Amino acid sequence: MNPLEQELKNALRRQEPATDFTERVMARIQSAGAGRRTETLGRSRAAGLRDWFRVPAVRWASAAAMCFVLVIGGLAQYRARERRRRQEGEMARAQVMLALRIASAKLNGALREVKQVNQAPHDEAR
Amino acid sequence: MGLSEAAETRMEEALALAAGGDASAFARIVREHQAMVFSVAYHFLHDRPVAEDVAQEVFVHLYQNINSIESPAHLKYWLRKVATHRSIDHARGRKLEVGLDEISDCAGASPECDPLLGEKLQRLVASLPEQARMVVILRYQEELEYHEIAEVMEMPINTVKSNLQRALALLRQKLARTMGDVPV
Repeated sequence: MNPLEQELKNALRRQEPATDFTERVMARIQSAGAGRRTETLGRSRAAGLRDWFRVPAVRWASAAAMCFVLVIGGLAQYRARERRRRQEGEMARAQVMLALRIASAKLNGALREVKQVNQAPHDEAR
Repeated sequence: MGLSEAAETRMEEALALAAGGDASAFARIVREHQAMVFSVAYHFLHDRPVAEDVAQEVFVHLYQNINSIESPAHLKYWLRKVATHRSIDHARGRKLEVGLDEISDCAGASPECDPLLGEKLQRLVASLPEQARMVVILRYQEELEYHEIAEVMEMPINTVKSNLQRALALLRQKLARTMGDVPV
């Protein structure tokens, strides 16, 4: 043990808490005594869960499950967004086609009228 | 820091009585282990009232789980482990009051800034990163072996070793800066 380690050992020696520490612990236990059973059950369940999550394998499994859920969730959201975009694209295309069809019909009508106007003087000349 | 045979027998009796609901037996258990539990919390948190509060929580938790304690050795291991984790949890919920900067301010070593090496070391330990701090406390306060620290802190033994080496290097560096040349 080198000098620093020896100094650490001296500096970190155990210390006693306040003289009434034990009494205060017992008072705390007694004051919580009424609903102790329920509290104990609740606490032990929470503590059990905490202990369970302290097991490295469980921690890793939870992290992996969380990653899996996040990836699947992200993928589902991406696909839903793609589907919505495709639908919007198709709707826009249908609207453009309709507009083109209307424009074409109007043009055809106008063309017909122009032809009729052009043909009228020739008929009169005959 | 093991118990003598007679003390161990007394503790076994106290455990059996406490498990049966004997409050005075439980108080005896508290008295026997309060210095250990309190010191782990105090050296980690560097705050007496908070450390006492954490230590009390540990014993209340013990009272609620006294039936799961199998032996005096198990009791000691259980208390050390719960005190360790409760202290770490507590530190995460609050900002540690002793920061590295605060200690660096003492550089230049005015006598009133550095009255005792022990106090200085305690403050330096309190400024170490969480894991390294607890490893140092378990190693030098509780005099645990590497594998015991690894068990209590639920970390690989190599992490314990590297944390301790890093902590000692940091402490040497800080001590040298604040106190000048010391035989470290």
